[in-house]
Amino acid sequence: MSELSRNRLFSRRGFMRRAAGTAAAGATLVSLRALAARPEATNPWAYDDTIYRRTDPKLVKYEEKARFSVAHSSPRCICLTKDERLVVGAGRFVCDYTLDGKLLSEFSLADEVRCIAERDDLLYVGLREHIEVYERSGKRKEVWDTPGSKSYFTALAVSEKDLFAADAGNRVVLRYDRFGKLKGRIGDRRKEPPIPGFIVPSPFFDVALAPDGLLRVTNAGWHSVEAYTFDGDLEFAWGKPGAAIENFCGCCNPIKLAFLTDGRVVTFEKGIPRVKIHGPDGKFESVVAGAESFPENAKVCGPNDCTLGGLSGVVDSKGQIYILDLVAANVRRMTRKPTAT
Amino acid sequence: MIQATSMKPTPPPFHFSRRQFLRDGARVAAMTGLGTLVGLTAARTRGHGTVWQIDPQKCVRCGLCATSCVLEQSAVKCVHAHAICGYCQLCTGYFEPEPNDLNTGAENQLCPTAAIRRSFVEDPYYEYTIDEGLCIGCAKCVEGCNRFGNGSLFLQIRHDRCVNCNQCAISKVCPVDAFRRVPGSQPYLLKTTSHGS
Repeated sequence: MSELSRNRLFSRRGFMRRAAGTAAAGATLVSLRALAARPEATNPWAYDDTIYRRTDPKLVKYEEKARFSVAHSSPRCICLTKDERLVVGAGRFVCDYTLDGKLLSEFSLADEVRCIAERDDLLYVGLREHIEVYERSGKRKEVWDTPGSKSYFTALAVSEKDLFAADAGNRVVLRYDRFGKLKGRIGDRRKEPPIPGFIVPSPFFDVALAPDGLLRVTNAGWHSVEAYTFDGDLEFAWGKPGAAIENFCGCCNPIKLAFLTDGRVVTFEKGIPRVKIHGPDGKFESVVAGAESFPENAKVCGPNDCTLGGLSGVVDSKGQIYILDLVAANVRRMTRKPTAT
Repeated sequence: MIQATSMKPTPPPFHFSRRQFLRDGARVAAMTGLGTLVGLTAARTRGHGTVWQIDPQKCVRCGLCATSCVLEQSAVKCVHAHAICGYCQLCTGYFEPEPNDLNTGAENQLCPTAAIRRSFVEDPYYEYTIDEGLCIGCAKCVEGCNRFGNGSLFLQIRHDRCVNCNQCAISKVCPVDAFRRVPGSQPYLLKTTSHGS
């Protein structure tokens, strides 16, 4: 070590070392102070619905057996054909899949597909303001007149002679014949006999044919499922608002219905995305898939925008439930657990 | 016969009555006062130039607005954009996630101070209004409304309460920098469409 001159206390190296040490200590102190100044992370007024986003495993009677991705983005609807194919509407495309998820064919439309139904090898496709009829090959057969500029079709159901179209824009179910002639309106509010009218806060409004021969319509703003005759008489309704598993959560649920062959109802919800089974009278029975099964869906359909997200689905002849996740753009096949009673 | 002359008439001598003097004086004083008021108001807004406000699109409803304001009761309040509201029967900003019933029972309400008033409009619609005297700006209702509803409830600094500190105490702790200065002439950042679309 070289000897220092009389007027120097530190060598240059020593000075640099001490300076670096001081700087490091200072930085540490500043960081610690900043951390100490940071407010408590816990929010005493936090909105806590986490317990409703966790499902009691004992209630889950189904398990996922398969999953496949939809070929196009923005899927909105799914239907099951008579020959047991899954037809998915995604963006402007209509895609034909086997139950295993193999894409057989697809065709495109001029506008986004909102809803689909199939009967006698004809595909009835609901666009926003009108309905088009296609052969399975994708050849367009008919374009029906729009019932009005406010129309917003969200679901179709086809019986032997009629087609029922849920029009969220006008909050009514329109009854057509199979050739597009308007025959009637279902669900208009009236006092005698009383019909409460449909409340549709977000564009999720479903109509389906139940095995008992009645229509079932989701009245999401009332958190209920309503049963109507084809002539528009309200027979009964069930459903209760609330975040608990047996109820329908958020502003507007359920958003979609499907039926098991014995008449039990499969309900699909958004907000807290979950799929459940209710008895024909509405009594809660079990869970097909809870909110934890749809993390992406739950994230989107949350603080940012509740009008996004959501689920749809169908049931095949074996009682397997196919869930279309509108956010993850995939279809899951759920089968009942062998141990489920 | 008196002949008309071309002479101009002599104007009467100029003088004020006491009444005129008082009236004119009062007018001048009133105008001066009004001018001063306008000037002071303009100076207040232009002098500072800007005031603090919350950007509702950035706000994450952390709850710090309720506790970090220098005022005893925060100047941040929940405000309601009625044009966006769905007037839901089950308002998720008003009710607990699993209410016993859809009524105004305290046990069903989400707000810790019962600052939201629920009034019947027609079946099944209800109007929700904020009692700002009770609101503490905790944003619990804002979170509920945003999570499941249209997002019509949101937080704003109310300038009848805010003292416009140079460095807003809440802005220092806001985790997402939702506080910013806005022109005093446009002191509110109001939502006009749901979810900021």
